[in-house]
Amino acid sequence: MKLLFDRVFDGAGEMLAMAEKEIAAATAELGEAAPISMPNTAYSLACHNAYLGKQIRNVSELARGFSEAKEWASGERRLGGAFNAGFATFMAAEAIEACKYARSPDPYGGEYHGHMSDAEVRELGVPLVTGDIPGFVVIIGSAPSDEEAVELIRGYQSRAIFVFLIGGIIGQARRQNLNMGFPVRVVAVGPDIWCAAHIISFVNRAAMIFGAVKPGDREAFDHYTFHRIRAFVNAFRPVPDIVVASGGGAIAMGFPVVTDDAADMWPVPKSLIIQQNTADFIETSLEARDIKIKVSKIDIPVAYSTAFEGEIVRRADMRADMDGSRSDCFELVVSKEAHEIEDHSIELIGPDIDEAEPGARTSIGFVCEVAGKAMQSDFEPVFERKFHNFINCVEGVMHTGQRDTIHIRVSKAAFDAGFRARHFGEVLYAKVKSEYESVVDKCAVKIYTVPEQLKELRAKATEIYNRRDERLGSLTDESVDVFYDCILCQSFSPAHVCIVTPERLGLCGAVSWLDAKATNELDANGPCQRVSKQRVVDENIGIWEDVNERVREASHGSLEQVTLYSIMVDPMTSCGCFECICGIEPFSNGVVIVNREHDGMTPLGMTFSEMASMTGGGVQTPGFMGHGKQFISSAKFMKAEGGPARIVWMPKALKETVGAKLNGTAARLYGIDDFVSMIADETVTEDAEALLEFLGGSGHPVLGMEPLL
Amino acid sequence: MALKGLDIFKLTPKTNCKDCGVPTCMAFAMKVAQGSVQIGACPHMSDEALAALGEATAPPMKLVKIGAGEREYALGGETVLFRHEKAFVSKNLFGVALKPDSAERVLPEVMKIDYERIGERMHVELLHVGYGGSGNGDMAGSGNGDMADGGSGDRAAFLDTVRKAAAAGRTLVIECGDAGVAREALELAKDGKPLLNGANPSNYAEMARLAEEYGVALGVGAPDIGGIYDTVQALEGLGCKNLVIDVGAASAKEAFANAVQIRRAAIKDSVRSLGYPSLVNLEKLAPGNPELQLALASVFVLKYGSIIIMGDMSYAQALPLFGLRQNIFTDPQKPMTVEPGVYPINGADESAICATTVNFALTYFIISGELQRSGVPVNLLISDAGGYSVLTAWAAGKLSAASLEKFFSEQGLNDRLKNRTLLIPGKVAVLKGEIEESLPGWNIVVAPNEAVGIVKFMKELSA
Amino acid sequence: MPFAPVPQAFKSSLKEVVIGAGESAVALGGENVLPLYSFDAPIKNRPKVGIEISDLGPDRSLPELAKFYEGASSAAELAARACAAPGADFVCLWLEGADPNGEDRDVADCVKICREVAEASPLPLAVQGCGSPDKDARLFEKIAEALQGRNVLLLSAKEENYKGIAVAAVTAYGQKIAAESSVDINLAKQLNVLISQLGIAGDSTVMHLGASAAGYGFEYIASTTDRVRLAALAQNDAALQMPVIAPVAADAWSVKESVMSEDEFPEWGPVERRGADMEICTASAMIAAGANAVIVRHPRSAAAVAELISALL
Repeated sequence: MKLLFDRVFDGAGEMLAMAEKEIAAATAELGEAAPISMPNTAYSLACHNAYLGKQIRNVSELARGFSEAKEWASGERRLGGAFNAGFATFMAAEAIEACKYARSPDPYGGEYHGHMSDAEVRELGVPLVTGDIPGFVVIIGSAPSDEEAVELIRGYQSRAIFVFLIGGIIGQARRQNLNMGFPVRVVAVGPDIWCAAHIISFVNRAAMIFGAVKPGDREAFDHYTFHRIRAFVNAFRPVPDIVVASGGGAIAMGFPVVTDDAADMWPVPKSLIIQQNTADFIETSLEARDIKIKVSKIDIPVAYSTAFEGEIVRRADMRADMDGSRSDCFELVVSKEAHEIEDHSIELIGPDIDEAEPGARTSIGFVCEVAGKAMQSDFEPVFERKFHNFINCVEGVMHTGQRDTIHIRVSKAAFDAGFRARHFGEVLYAKVKSEYESVVDKCAVKIYTVPEQLKELRAKATEIYNRRDERLGSLTDESVDVFYDCILCQSFSPAHVCIVTPERLGLCGAVSWLDAKATNELDANGPCQRVSKQRVVDENIGIWEDVNERVREASHGSLEQVTLYSIMVDPMTSCGCFECICGIEPFSNGVVIVNREHDGMTPLGMTFSEMASMTGGGVQTPGFMGHGKQFISSAKFMKAEGGPARIVWMPKALKETVGAKLNGTAARLYGIDDFVSMIADETVTEDAEALLEFLGGSGHPVLGMEPLL
Repeated sequence: MALKGLDIFKLTPKTNCKDCGVPTCMAFAMKVAQGSVQIGACPHMSDEALAALGEATAPPMKLVKIGAGEREYALGGETVLFRHEKAFVSKNLFGVALKPDSAERVLPEVMKIDYERIGERMHVELLHVGYGGSGNGDMAGSGNGDMADGGSGDRAAFLDTVRKAAAAGRTLVIECGDAGVAREALELAKDGKPLLNGANPSNYAEMARLAEEYGVALGVGAPDIGGIYDTVQALEGLGCKNLVIDVGAASAKEAFANAVQIRRAAIKDSVRSLGYPSLVNLEKLAPGNPELQLALASVFVLKYGSIIIMGDMSYAQALPLFGLRQNIFTDPQKPMTVEPGVYPINGADESAICATTVNFALTYFIISGELQRSGVPVNLLISDAGGYSVLTAWAAGKLSAASLEKFFSEQGLNDRLKNRTLLIPGKVAVLKGEIEESLPGWNIVVAPNEAVGIVKFMKELSA
Repeated sequence: MPFAPVPQAFKSSLKEVVIGAGESAVALGGENVLPLYSFDAPIKNRPKVGIEISDLGPDRSLPELAKFYEGASSAAELAARACAAPGADFVCLWLEGADPNGEDRDVADCVKICREVAEASPLPLAVQGCGSPDKDARLFEKIAEALQGRNVLLLSAKEENYKGIAVAAVTAYGQKIAAESSVDINLAKQLNVLISQLGIAGDSTVMHLGASAAGYGFEYIASTTDRVRLAALAQNDAALQMPVIAPVAADAWSVKESVMSEDEFPEWGPVERRGADMEICTASAMIAAGANAVIVRHPRSAAAVAELISALL
């Protein structure tokens, strides 16, 4: 078997020999001084220009360039040498084409596209750079049949991939009457492999125009094309050496080659891929070049809009009713390996909606499988929680709850319009793919409706929910390397910055550390940024130099320093949308906490809104602090001042919400049982003196603690 | 730097006696820190505590009052240079300069400007009457009384104009560097506690005595900022601290430079002798050029003019200027709100379609503007949503099915309105179902998310 | 001790963005002091005044405006007239007619108008889209191509369409763009960062931080501009150091004070005077807040604002 390197060098040799002959012919025919140029470009012969840093203006310069190219192809038969040989192949190909254009300004006479003008480079370059065109493919050779040729081209077109054709496939497409041309994004470049020079010329000009890459800086060209030009090659068998040599150049530029030719072919992971099933060329190619196709519309028979988010489907109007509180229903996101998932597969396992009696209670379970290189299992619950919004926006469908407490209703109108169980899958697929584009490469949805099976699956899902909760519970500020900031509220509280840690969620109660992390990974420029915690100043009250720097930057200079665990020293600021506010009660040396929903008085002599008006707006108010409900039971809650044992008063309803967890924390930290019963509420008193009396009676630990002031 | 509530709390008696009218000493301290209660409201504070607090809570810029009775206005008292840090304290005042030869014509036009905008009366608060080419900024310290056009005829005309202005029912700015003439003018206008402008490096002692005698604030100026500083210090030495600084009339450029540098020195660098409100006279900076005066006035509203005097003010100029001032002097923490109620648009009657949004003034303006442009008659129902924007109000629970239900019943809308279609903001589409429950009989329609979509939406809806 | 003012020139300065080509080119930004604070340090470039024309023509019901544009009908003729208005530093063509909800003029026609206007304008040209993110993206790409070498300013690229506009206008055809966000320092910064990640340098972008007329939430734009400028200068935040442009015309001429007829409010006086005064007030306040360029509609406004700038600098 012939070695791959040998095939590259042999192929390069063929192309060079051909070029040498053409240049010699041109010299003889037109003379050394005859001008060489491509029409409508300011970049001369772009491949020569890019690789040699030289403008080729006439035949003699072309000949000199050729001898340089020849040297490129005489290197060691190893990887670097093979790449150089690939580039030499492109220069030789460009020389061949240049000789054609030296003889006639329009050598292809409309039959083939040939050279692309600078205007065309810009026109195609813009959407390529912005990602509106997700990439382009160069298809070389003839497909096994005319039908398959057209199927492949159409497959790429439907994914908005730009298609360049070289060789036999052009005739195949013409026989099938495929419409071609720049506007329809399918271009018949030319009949021979050297026409590939026009595509490489296009790529190199794009790098010079859009990437400001300097001619002659080959490394910069490679870097640009690898990172910015999402291109790849499909080569049909048989693939001769001369095509292999060109493929070497393409691979050096970062463009993988997919071929069905296994003879004398040496697969190279991610670069040279043998896919003998040509029907899978598209999927294999997109995966190899990391191209994600945007989902732009949701394939369902009813409207989809936020305007339907609050719609309620009443009992009388409903066709299907799936209620997690009465039967086994659930929704679950699980991450998988890419090869385990077929993108956009939507599977209904069990009877469809129309098989049940109208209005009958049925059950449903969604398993949404996702895969992606940047996917992390921590994102699963983040996606899952959005299912509520995703499904609720369907016209005529109502969704409440999450996990295994969901309740879904489908209206008769939606049913009559054709809405069926698989459409839930379409919605979830489209939304997960588009909303989490940066991390989800593939997504498939399984919809279960068989009660027995659901019972079993729900039990499995519950195990996963429990594991996640444990993971969340086991995350501590010490066990992570980074915190996150959150500046979502700055639109109305311009100086406020939340620092979100595993043990301290955002004060709105809606942004946990995992949420912040996911927000950051999904949108690197968004409202949540990573905050390192390497330069510790005081771990006890929670001061990090890194955190302070971020706070200074994100508050645009209005805050200098915050502590994460103290409410007395530089406490974190509040925006105004906090769930709760705590304030020190000086007579008991404790703190009073009041939640937004409570509109009565507190022993501080201030209501929630009075306290809020003094604390909001991103101003540090020692002794007062806004926070989320979940923070109350955190071991980090005013840790510097002694922790949750300082809590002396909370509204009864808030006690009920956080009581169990708070008791757990108090038992763990202080060995106190039923701590919550020692805390007063509005049914005990709203007066400071009576509060002190009560605390004495309940044996509250705060009475033995250091004074706060 | 303002004191934190806890620092103030430490100085209170800590008895929770409630004599101040606040339930606890902590709550009292917090309110003092916030500025909503004066420290003097506590009858039990020790003298040392009061002294300590007085020093620490004194603003870097004096609060100066001019005028009397309901026409008394506070100027200055600012603590920040930019309104996003904390609200500006005292809105600027606008004045019009009356001249003997044009007062008859100008005065009625100025008095016509008197209207209400979002709960605030809009009118020209001050009338300025100057003696001769008087004033201070342009006198270059050359003393007084010997001004070229300061003859006795001018004096009579000046006093006559003061008399007319005093009768107009506005607070006066009397500008006169001649203490003798100034006394005569003050005699005519003393009840209204005018601002006496005209102290300068050579007459300040005399002027200070006069201001003291009549109990009025004194305007002081000098050829340059150094002279202003020296003259203010000299006046302070005489115990005269009820001052307004005239930023001068040499050029607009210099007046602006002075206004900014004086305010910045006071607030940023704690130069107490420049911590006074400012006065800028645009009629001197751009005489007879109403457009340039309008442009300069707009600049001085943002940048540190406490009193802005113009040569004239047309209604067309007043509309944007008063609107601008209303905007700039809002508290960034407390958004402007409009009164809850029914606002008929495009001649809507009881059978017109209804739309609802929050009482945040900006939202109201934008939505009502777009509805107006649609040409479709519609009743805009504004409920009290705490002055927040739609999403914030929703998140804070101030805009909900329950709040709308309460609003509908309080306003008796089911009886007042015949139409039963209600448009709700697209951003709270999620409330649709709940609102349908709480407002039985109403057809709830979700409007677009953004105001730009309203015109098209309304046209399609009514088509 | 005599008083000595402490000048507050910053170590950081704004980026400088040039629009137009040749002798009439104008530079925006570049200063290292707060707006108009020339007493702290010299201001490199004065704020500039643009005058707006619409492809649909001026509102000829306003007598002064009608007189100013008398006999000029095509956009090119209007532009030539606008360029001659005292105080105008550049002209801004508003493609009002491109609005898909309005005339929906097609891209090719718009490009043709732009070409003609560019041809007829001795001053630098800005082109303002119709506001539809999709239509503007398509328009600007073609306009940028057609006006290569003119160094025009395209308003605006927004979060929804910045990619195509930025890459086409700046990278492919070397034009300038305004990055438009809605009155929020973080949104402004985010958009600037996103645009810079496309490889576009700060000297090709100006910021359009949002607009509102005096009395209509102007405090938000004023404070946002204050904060952006302080972040740029005091905090050396490179992502906010672009100059600011304030197209105030559309807002100033659409509020109640500028549109209600004199019949309805006789004491207010003529509509045209009210609109121009609203525009003068709003544009002047924007310059005080930190705009490096304003765009106004009425020649009277352009003259007044230019006079203001001369008076203060």
